Amino acid sequence: MIEAKGVCLEYPDGTMALKNIELSVKPGELVYVIGPSGSGKTSLLKLFMGAEYPTAGSLRVLGQHISKGQASRIRGLRRMIGPVFQDFRLIKGRTALENVMLGMRFLDIPSGCIRENAGNALKKVGLEQKMLSLVEHLSWGECQRVAIARAVSREPVLIIADEPTGNLDKDNALNILELLKSFRDDNKAIIITTHATHLIEDDRYAVHIRMDNGNMIMERPGELR
Amino acid sequence: MKNILYNTGYFIKETKTIIRLNLLSNILSFLSIGLIFFILAMMISGWWVSSHIVLAIQEEAEISIYYSEDMDAAGADRLAEEIGNIEGVHEARLVSKEEAYSRMEKILGKEARVLEYLDDNPFNPFIEAKIQIEDISLILEKLDLIEGIEHVRDNREVLERILGISQTIKVLGYLIITAVGISTTVIISHIIRMGIYDCREQINTLRLMGAPEAFIGFPFILEGLLLTMGGGALSSALAAYALKYLYTQAAGPIAFIPLPPREALASSLVMLIMFLSASLGTVGVFFGLSSAKN
Ligand SMILES: Nc1ncnc2c1ncn2[C@@H]1O[C@H](COP(=O)(O)OP(=O)(O)OP(=O)(O)O)[C@@H](O)[C@H]1O
Ligand SMILES: [Mg+2]
Repeated sequence: MIEAKGVCLEYPDGTMALKNIELSVKPGELVYVIGPSGSGKTSLLKLFMGAEYPTAGSLRVLGQHISKGQASRIRGLRRMIGPVFQDFRLIKGRTALENVMLGMRFLDIPSGCIRENAGNALKKVGLEQKMLSLVEHLSWGECQRVAIARAVSREPVLIIADEPTGNLDKDNALNILELLKSFRDDNKAIIITTHATHLIEDDRYAVHIRMDNGNMIMERPGELR
Repeated sequence: MKNILYNTGYFIKETKTIIRLNLLSNILSFLSIGLIFFILAMMISGWWVSSHIVLAIQEEAEISIYYSEDMDAAGADRLAEEIGNIEGVHEARLVSKEEAYSRMEKILGKEARVLEYLDDNPFNPFIEAKIQIEDISLILEKLDLIEGIEHVRDNREVLERILGISQTIKVLGYLIITAVGISTTVIISHIIRMGIYDCREQINTLRLMGAPEAFIGFPFILEGLLLTMGGGALSSALAAYALKYLYTQAAGPIAFIPLPPREALASSLVMLIMFLSASLGTVGVFFGLSSAKN
């Protein structure tokens, strides 16, 4: 699903955010990306979504080459991804339901199914009661769950969640991780960045990757389930 | 396209939100577009009316030939016949003193009472000739050679003056169309840029989720068209009202001016204004969207 060979990312200001990344993610895998703040986790996910382009090396995501001049193909790629952004990126002034529906409106999902999918996804994240609440009235954890519902309702083949446990207490963080893991199946890959190393340590079935100042260290390949 | 169809509800809601974000600017844009289109509409009607008048006068080009008072009726008849034979003259006809008087009565209408103060019929008989307007100078030359003719009154001067006015209106019209075009485009493209700027976060999010540009841009296209076509509709209503008023005013004192039928004028005007506003709206939206692309 993801093939990265010698990928580097240098921001225009000269920051070397990623150095010589080698990575291969296969369908069905769950990948945890850990590492201190500023180590390049978000930058890595940005590359996978085509929000940044590698400045060196080659990167393929879901068969699509990530490089300049591929805008319309990258748009197609993004439609197969369910992104959970570090800052949620929910649309203010809209209800939870509308936010989730908006993620699907431009996909090839029949219009009749959009409302149903959104309702089901919100049910699954436990927000059945909050569907019609404006997102600015929701708590941090609830927003997090709306963002997850929006990502998974799109029926993506790749879920990318940036810091979904950030700022949550242990129980809530665990719930969110369990929730994300529940979407795992043989055809989907899930990539999660997190600071909460203590919560994922004993997940033997997941790939553990550590980022350190732009370098990638494979801590532990996942065991077969 | 399919997406756009079944997301109609979403787009309308979205457009409402965009408009509400900059409510005052949107209202002012709508009003100013309405007003400049109203000026344009009045200009265009002036243009149409004046060219209609020119055409009408050209069509019934007539000259009046006054002959010396001591010519008798038989002489006048002969003169009329002679004039009728000049090339370019369709028809020459004697208009008697009495007919001239009653014509003036008709023209004056209510005001005809002034004629009663006169003891005598002040009008002279004359020969009225319907002519081919292009041949007017040739005809005038030939009339010069005929004896017994005192003077010839042609409406060439009037025609030329109206033609001049019509030309001026045309030039002004082009200037105003240009001004309206530029200002509408600038207003719309700016208001759309403003909307895009206010929604940049949301637009970015939609892009990151793979939304097509058409999906993202559609609410802004709707906003632009709503403003221009709303302005167009406002100006059309104003213009139709103004025409009605002006026609009522014109019906009294200047009833002899051949105005085009009001309903036809108004409906072509409305169609033209709506067409112009839609096209200028599209151009403005296009500029706004393309200038906001990063
Ligand atoms: N747009 C940008 N321009 C320049 N430098 C950037 C940009 N975005 C990120 N960086 C830098 O790149 C490095 C990696 O940032 P990144 O956001 O990937 O870190 P992170 O691991 O996600 O951190 P955190 O855990 O705090 O979210 C940092 O030094 C950051 O300052
Ligand atoms: Mg980050």
